[in-house]
Amino acid sequence: MRISRLLFIVFLLNSPLLRADPLRYEFLLLPSASGVGTFDRRAPNTQLDDEVLQADMILSLQKGPLKLFGEYLLSDHEGDLERLQLGWQLSDDTVLWIGRFHQPTSVWNHDHHHGQYLQTSITRPSIDEWEDLGGVIPQHFTGALLESGRTVFGSWKLRTAAAVGVAPQITPHGLEPFDLLHPDSDRHQMGYQARASLHPGDFTETGVGIVLANDELTAVGPTPSWLPNFDHVNLKLVGLFAIYAPSDWKITSTVYYADTKLYYGPARKDDSFIVGYIEAERNFAYDLTGFVRWEDSYGANSSPYLHLFEQFARCRRVAGLRWDFVERQALTVQFTNSHTLDGRYSDIRLQWSAAFF
Amino acid sequence: MKRRAPQLVILLCLWAQVYAASHTLVLVVRADSKVTALDSLTVRKLFLGLPVLIDGTPLHPLRNRSDSQLDPIFLQQIVAMSQSAYDRQILIGVNRQGWLRPVEVNSGSRLIETLYADPSAVTFMWLQDVAHNPKVRVIRELWSD
Repeated sequence: MRISRLLFIVFLLNSPLLRADPLRYEFLLLPSASGVGTFDRRAPNTQLDDEVLQADMILSLQKGPLKLFGEYLLSDHEGDLERLQLGWQLSDDTVLWIGRFHQPTSVWNHDHHHGQYLQTSITRPSIDEWEDLGGVIPQHFTGALLESGRTVFGSWKLRTAAAVGVAPQITPHGLEPFDLLHPDSDRHQMGYQARASLHPGDFTETGVGIVLANDELTAVGPTPSWLPNFDHVNLKLVGLFAIYAPSDWKITSTVYYADTKLYYGPARKDDSFIVGYIEAERNFAYDLTGFVRWEDSYGANSSPYLHLFEQFARCRRVAGLRWDFVERQALTVQFTNSHTLDGRYSDIRLQWSAAFF
Repeated sequence: MKRRAPQLVILLCLWAQVYAASHTLVLVVRADSKVTALDSLTVRKLFLGLPVLIDGTPLHPLRNRSDSQLDPIFLQQIVAMSQSAYDRQILIGVNRQGWLRPVEVNSGSRLIETLYADPSAVTFMWLQDVAHNPKVRVIRELWSD
């Protein structure tokens, strides 16, 4: 098997398309530093494990239609290979990736990934939170991702993505994606995702779309007492989203319907819930941007699946102000009021973020 | 002498107009490049860092920054956005897709050397700088005053 892989790579590197093209690269550093203080604490867990210092590093190599893309996040409490993708650019608008990627059904993460500078608010919506920060939807998969686009209805653009890959596991500490650098031999199951969105042009973020996912999440480690012999979860997700982004405004709205089946012992617990958010951002004079976000849910309190995640915020209100004080550097202050499944708390955050080539 | 002064002024104005009219920005490739035509939308995509393939090989955009007059024309006519919007678009492309931003070249001589060396390179130059150069082929006019 290893010899065949080696022969395949040698074949690729010797193909005429690759030999004719020089190796080109891009490196992007997205550092950030933030501080958070909580008050009005009425919840046992107030999600204080956010990073204080982090550096998100992105490296992209390209030779002919072959691409190697990686994202490594280094923070004061972790170092993670977030994305490592080998891609083949099949046409101007189509690329096939294999490796570890961010699944395409998270609207927020598909747009922003880990770089703090590229998102206006300091925190992301609770439904789109990363696995190691208490996220409830699996975000990192290892497999294949096909991204494509085509012009429709004259000048409109239809963008699509489909993915299949090894899904994260459910552990007592939350979801844990497959680690490419330290692969484990535990049982992993698969996940499938698809996304389609329609935009009025090639260069606008304005558009509407739909996302679909069907993920099987294996349970490992000690299981909760109310789920004896917990085996796995089947998570089905359907989502709709809309983005309106004229020059001074950006409004992002997303709603997900989730259907979960928890398999334990000889039995099964079924539930469903709806989670959504709307965020409005407005540019002002002096490079200031104000933002507000409202996150809410329906059926979250009675969901056995969501009770596996202590930090999930079933309802959250966010408001803040960002100041791009010099080129590619910003200061942001944000106030948040969160309601988890067993309490509530408020916090205020301050962040510096930047982007350097 | 007094009679000739107005004539001299008129001549100078005419010369200035002729000189100004000669400012035409053109899209150029190496003479043996496979690129035959690029429409304005494709040129915009190329200089925003999006992949543009010819026979399976990506084109390599070179942003000409050898003349300060080129920057506003690049932003207004080629990518059609402000400097800050262009910066953000480039950052988003790298972050989401690993797109490569156009290589920026600050010297005219280095730009032409880079173009000679790369059959997939595409750049823009003043027409007067490439009009009689057999090693360079003009693809289209981008702007003229």
